[in-house]
Amino acid sequence: MNPRADLPPSGRLIRLMAVVSLLCGVIIVAAHKTTLEPIRRNQAAISRENVALLLPGASRQIAYGLTPAGEIEILTGDPAGREHFLAVYDQAGSLRGIVWEAAERGYADLIRGMFAYDPEGQKVTGFRAVELKETPGLGDKIGTDPGFLANFRALDARLNQVGDGLANAIRAVKHGTKKNEWEIDAVSGATVSSRAVGRMLDRSARRWTPVIQRHLDRVRKGH
Amino acid sequence: MHVHATIDPQDTVNQDAFLDGLWKQNPVFVQVLGTCPTLAVTNSVSNALAMGAATLFVLVCSNVLISLVRKLVPKQVRIATYILIIATFVTVVDYVIKAASITVYKALGPFIALIVVNCIILGRAEAYASRNPVGRSALDGLGMGIGFIIALLCLGGVREILGAGTFLGYPLFGPGYQPWVLFLLPPGGFFTLGAWLLAFNAWKRRKEKTA
Amino acid sequence: MPAAAPEVELRSSPHLHTRRSVAMIMRHVIYALLPVAAAAVWFFGISALASLVTAVGVCVATENFLSRLAGRGSTVGDGSVVITGILLALTLPPGFPLWMTAVGAFVSVALGKMLFGGLGANAFNPALVGRAFLQAAFPSAITAYTPVLARNRFSEFIPATLTPPFLQPPPLDRWIAQARVDAFSGATPLMQWKFDGAATDPFALGLGAVAGSAGETSAVLIALCGCYLLVRKMADWRIPAAMLGSAALASLAFHAMNPARYPDALFTLLSGGLMLGAFFMATDMVASPVTPRGVWIYGSLMGLITVLIRNLGGLPEGVMYAILLGNAASPIIDSVTQPRVYGHGGRK
Repeated sequence: MNPRADLPPSGRLIRLMAVVSLLCGVIIVAAHKTTLEPIRRNQAAISRENVALLLPGASRQIAYGLTPAGEIEILTGDPAGREHFLAVYDQAGSLRGIVWEAAERGYADLIRGMFAYDPEGQKVTGFRAVELKETPGLGDKIGTDPGFLANFRALDARLNQVGDGLANAIRAVKHGTKKNEWEIDAVSGATVSSRAVGRMLDRSARRWTPVIQRHLDRVRKGH
Repeated sequence: MHVHATIDPQDTVNQDAFLDGLWKQNPVFVQVLGTCPTLAVTNSVSNALAMGAATLFVLVCSNVLISLVRKLVPKQVRIATYILIIATFVTVVDYVIKAASITVYKALGPFIALIVVNCIILGRAEAYASRNPVGRSALDGLGMGIGFIIALLCLGGVREILGAGTFLGYPLFGPGYQPWVLFLLPPGGFFTLGAWLLAFNAWKRRKEKTA
Repeated sequence: MPAAAPEVELRSSPHLHTRRSVAMIMRHVIYALLPVAAAAVWFFGISALASLVTAVGVCVATENFLSRLAGRGSTVGDGSVVITGILLALTLPPGFPLWMTAVGAFVSVALGKMLFGGLGANAFNPALVGRAFLQAAFPSAITAYTPVLARNRFSEFIPATLTPPFLQPPPLDRWIAQARVDAFSGATPLMQWKFDGAATDPFALGLGAVAGSAGETSAVLIALCGCYLLVRKMADWRIPAAMLGSAALASLAFHAMNPARYPDALFTLLSGGLMLGAFFMATDMVASPVTPRGVWIYGSLMGLITVLIRNLGGLPEGVMYAILLGNAASPIIDSVTQPRVYGHGGRK
C-alpha cells in the first residue's frame, strides 16, 4: 500500500498557497497604502511636539549629520538612523537653539532623552525623556520631577580652552549637594536613573558641542 | 468559496458560539491561553483595551477568512495557511495602530507583532473556524475576542488601580495614596493573574459542589 | 501459661539518640535571634520594636487563619512562623511604615509558605519572599533609612512608622536632621560606598553603629548569635562558611582589580545584610540542599551573587536576591550532587 496515496498532488498545494499568499499580499498592501500618510503625519507631529516643548517658538528645523571628514552636512529625508543634531529656527529665521537625542543605560533599561542647547550662551536649556522604562514612581521621576528638570534650565556646558571637549564634566550629584552650574541635582531616591541622565548629557555634549561651535556660523545661516 | 458560506444549512446564528467565549470558555481565565500578552501589556487599562481590541480584530477577521477557505485547504497545509492569514491581519492591525496613535504603538511595543503567535487565535482557527460556517465562526471570534478583552481589563484594572492609583489615567485616591509599584512591574502581572485564576477556580469548585 | 514476652519496640533506622523536634529547633533559633532583635531595638528605639511586634503578630495570625481555612488545624505551634516574622522585621528599615510591614508579613506567610503547603514545603525562605515583595512594591519606602541612636528614640516613633494604611510615608530628611546625634547619617554604608565612594570604618561596622535595616547593624553580635546555632548544630555550619568565604574571596578579587571602585573583603563581610543572611536566612532547612557537597555549592553561589550584585548591579545590596536565587537553585544542586548509592549503578 502506498502511504502517500491520500496526499493531494504537490502542484495543487503550491497553487493553493500561492493564491492565499496573493490574497494576503493584496490586503497588506491596501492597509499599507491607506495608513502611510497618517503614520508619517503622526511621526512628524511627535518629533515637532518634542522640539516645540524644548524650544518654544520653534518653527523650522534642519537636521545636520557629520561627514567622515568631520564636516557637517544637511540631512534630507528621515534623519533617524543617522547620528545627527537638529538646528531649530524661529519664525524670523534666526537660530533658536540646537536639539540632540541621546541614550544611556539606566536602572531598568535604556533611557532615551532629548537635550536643548543654546550655542550662544553655551548652556543646556532643556531635557525631555523620550523613552523611559525606569521604576514607576521612583526612577521615572527624572522625566517629570519639576525640581530635576529645573537643572536643565541653564546648565553650564562651556567648551574647554582647546575646544575639543567640555570645560567641566557634567555629572549628577546626590540630592541637595549641587554646588556648581555644571552639576545636576539628582532626584532623591532615584540616584541611579539621575546619574544615567548625567552620563547621557556629558557624553552627548562632549560629542556635539565642539562640532556645533566649530560650525556655528554655518548653522546660524542654516545652510 | 463564497457560495459555500451562504447556503450552508447549519449556519444558523447560535448564541452559544458567542457566549461561550465571554465566560464559560473564557480564553484567559478558563482555557489559560494567550498568557504572554495578558501578562505583558496589562499594566494599564488603556494598554489592555488597545491590546484587546487589536486581538479582537485579528481574531474575527482570521476566523471569517479561514472559515471561508476551510473546504479548499487540504489538511497538510492548513497550519501554514492559517498562520499566513493571521499574520496578514496582524500586519494590518500594526499599521492601523501606528496610524491611530504612536503613543499607544510604543506602549504595546513588540506585543502587537506577537499577536501572530497568540495561541487563542490559532486555537480558534484550528478548533472552530476550520470546521464551522462563516457566521458562527465570526460570532465565535467575537465572543472569544470580547472574553479576552474582559480578562485583560480585569488584570489591567487591578494593576492600574493598585499600581498607580488611577483608572484610565484618572486619579482615584488623592495625592497621599501610596502606589504599589510592584503591580506595574512584570511580577505584578503574575500575581494578579494568579489571584484571578484562584478566584475563578474557587468559584467553579463551589458551583460544582452545589450542583 | 507462658509469661508475657517483654515488649520490644522495633524501629527502622536511623536510630537517633537526641530527641529533636521541629518545635525545639525553632525555639533555639528564636533564642539566637533575640539578642539581634534586642540590638535592633536598642539602636533604633520603639519604631523597631513596633515593627517586630507587627511582623510577628501578622505572620502568626496569617498562618493561623490559612491553616484553619485549609482544614488542617493551626500549625502555629511549631514556632517557625515566629522566626519568619522576626526575620522579616529585621530586614526592613527601622522606620518602615507598619501597614507595609503588615502587608509584607501577610505575603511572607501566605505566598512564601502556606501556598506551597506550609512548613517543609516552601521553596524559598518565607521572610525574604515578603521582603522581595515589599522591595518591588514600595521601592522608595524600603530605601528610606534613618540614623542609629537617634535622640528620643525610646519616646517617639520615626514619623514614617505610623503612616496610615495605603498612604505614602512622609519624607524623613527634616526629622533626620533634628533627631540625629553626632555625624550618624541616614545612608547605609553600602549606599555611601556605591553612590559617594565613601568607606565606613570597619570598627563601626562590626559594632553596628551604622544606618541600615533594623537587624543588619552589629555584624559581630549577629555572628556570635549565629555561632550559637552552629555549635548547637541547629544549622549547617557549611552554609555560612561557604557563603562568607566565597563573598570574601570574590570581593578580594574585585578589590585587587580596582581598589577605588570595589570595597575590600572586610567591608563586604561586615556591611549590609550579609551576616544576618548567611547565618539566619540562607540556613533555612527547607529551602537549602541536603547533600554536603551541594551545601558547599549552594553557599558559595550565594556569596558570589551577593558580591556580583553589590559591585556590578544597580542596587547597593544584593543579599536578598542572592539567597532567593540560591533557594531556587537548591533542588537542581541536590539532584546533581546525589551521592552514588552503594551497590547501585556505576561511576559516572
